[in-house]
Amino acid sequence: MLSCRQIGFSYGAVPVLKDICFTVEKGRFCVVLGRNGSGKTTLIHCLNRILHPTQGQVFIDDKDMTSLSRNEIARTVSLVPQEHMEIFPFRVIDVVVMARAPFLGTAAAPKPDDYTIAEAALKQLHAFHLADKNFNRISGGERQIVLLARAIAQNARIMLLDEPTNHLDFNNQYHLLSAIKELCRSTDLCIVASMHDPNLASLFADDVIMLKNGRILYHGPNQKVMTPQNISALYDVDTRAIPIGDRKQLFLPKQKMGASDT
Amino acid sequence: MSLYRTSGRLLGLLGLILGAALVISLFSGRIPIHWQEMVTFGIHLLKGQDLPADLVHKELVFLWIRLPRCLMALLVGSALAVSGAVYQALFRNPLVSPDILGVSAGCTFGAALGLILASNVFGLVQVLSFFFGITAVCLSLGLARMISIKPVIVLVLAGIVVMSFFNALLMVVKYFSDPYDELPGIIFWVMGSLSRVSWEHVATMAPFTLVGLILFIVLGFRLNILSLGDIQAKSLGMNPGLFRFILITVSSFMVAVSVACCGQIAWIGLVIPHMARSLAGPEHQKMIPVTALLGAIFLLLADSAARSISSAEIPVGIITALTGAPIFGYFLYKNRNTGWI
Repeated sequence: MLSCRQIGFSYGAVPVLKDICFTVEKGRFCVVLGRNGSGKTTLIHCLNRILHPTQGQVFIDDKDMTSLSRNEIARTVSLVPQEHMEIFPFRVIDVVVMARAPFLGTAAAPKPDDYTIAEAALKQLHAFHLADKNFNRISGGERQIVLLARAIAQNARIMLLDEPTNHLDFNNQYHLLSAIKELCRSTDLCIVASMHDPNLASLFADDVIMLKNGRILYHGPNQKVMTPQNISALYDVDTRAIPIGDRKQLFLPKQKMGASDT
Repeated sequence: MSLYRTSGRLLGLLGLILGAALVISLFSGRIPIHWQEMVTFGIHLLKGQDLPADLVHKELVFLWIRLPRCLMALLVGSALAVSGAVYQALFRNPLVSPDILGVSAGCTFGAALGLILASNVFGLVQVLSFFFGITAVCLSLGLARMISIKPVIVLVLAGIVVMSFFNALLMVVKYFSDPYDELPGIIFWVMGSLSRVSWEHVATMAPFTLVGLILFIVLGFRLNILSLGDIQAKSLGMNPGLFRFILITVSSFMVAVSVACCGQIAWIGLVIPHMARSLAGPEHQKMIPVTALLGAIFLLLADSAARSISSAEIPVGIITALTGAPIFGYFLYKNRNTGWI
């Protein structure tokens, strides 16, 4: 379980996050939505102390995160980062095995056991065939899968994802999110992911946090929060809902799109 | 595991080449020394037998000039090469060399200052050079720390500021130096040469090279992670700021001692890590030892060439630049499809 109590963050004098309170239970897939610059990435980075919140506390179960060492945090919280252009042509397996760093001594290199764990993580995502390839030369979708495998190999109870579906094609977006959802269910993982597309959130999320100007606008279970009114307020554009059955709905702006053809 | 050659065999092979380079280097120079004579020197040292009179001079040259010089080439070559590899990982930029934080510029200014102040005071040039090299790095780190956002880019910018400042100071020193006497001294010093090397230099350099080398090999896996950038390093449980500080400090000391003893020897820190990476792969546990061996081989051979090509000795910095630049061009071409340029 991950919970934030009134966290705030500012870059110098500029406040980016204010008064953020929420809790994500284990086995729940929580999506953070918001416009560009709303503070999504900053929030994700505050959740594993890549950034230190300037106010409030983050709790893992009932432990204040400030009382944990960086290694302890890394054993509990994994991150699938947004930027992933590497400079050196590491093999995929070498990238995945880096997940074992928090379990190894400072001077130690990964051992055969660690490689076994890394291989298992790749197999779990049906990506073992990539193991020997150059990480820089696989596709963006494959790279995102590899980074997800690394987060799995980190064996943490909480997983953070920073815009995991960015730059992915239609197929890969659904493939990746299904894999994440499956993981969340099968291993009781607690997941927080920032995303741009409210429709993907509507299809996959259990809970949704709507972030606007660094504050939580709405927060709650998917069906309750994802309404045309809330989404209109979040993105400053009039939105309508399109039911697609199964108690799910998609959202589109109300205004006419493209050139008028009447 | 087929992408890169197994490192054991590669290291063995490079070890043999290093041995060969050392032998070549010991034999080359203006005074020819035959291998039988070297054996005689060895027996003389071990058993204390008298040497024939004509060999006494040769033995002095061999023991007090050539041997320390070869060992120094080996130590400086590895030190410059591995610190280049570490800098490239830390700055996430394969085009970075250890000069980026101004260590060489500071060293050069210090040496020039020493040369015009009192070139006859033993060791003053080296001490001033070392002192200003480390000062330059401290200034870069301090400036970056005051700015304290986007740590890596700010470090590079701070390094450029400090480097330009020390280059300007160097120009001031050059301008006020005596153009007939002191200026040529400064210019030759900057070109880099192993001709001044003595056993004291070897004894100063050796601990820095050894400590740095062991540290970098031991932290190889951490270097891999640091090269992914601060966000990922932190999310994998590391404190990138602390590691960066330690690694920059150690490699700057290695470079500062090298430059203080031998002047600027260009290109090794930039080219050799690339060569090592294309032989052993990018993983630092494997490529750092390969980098060290290649750096030693390269400088030994370059120095042999510097001693043998013409009757007057050529500064070795010219040889490394003349060969390094085309080699670097070749590696840019060869690695064009691996996604690191």
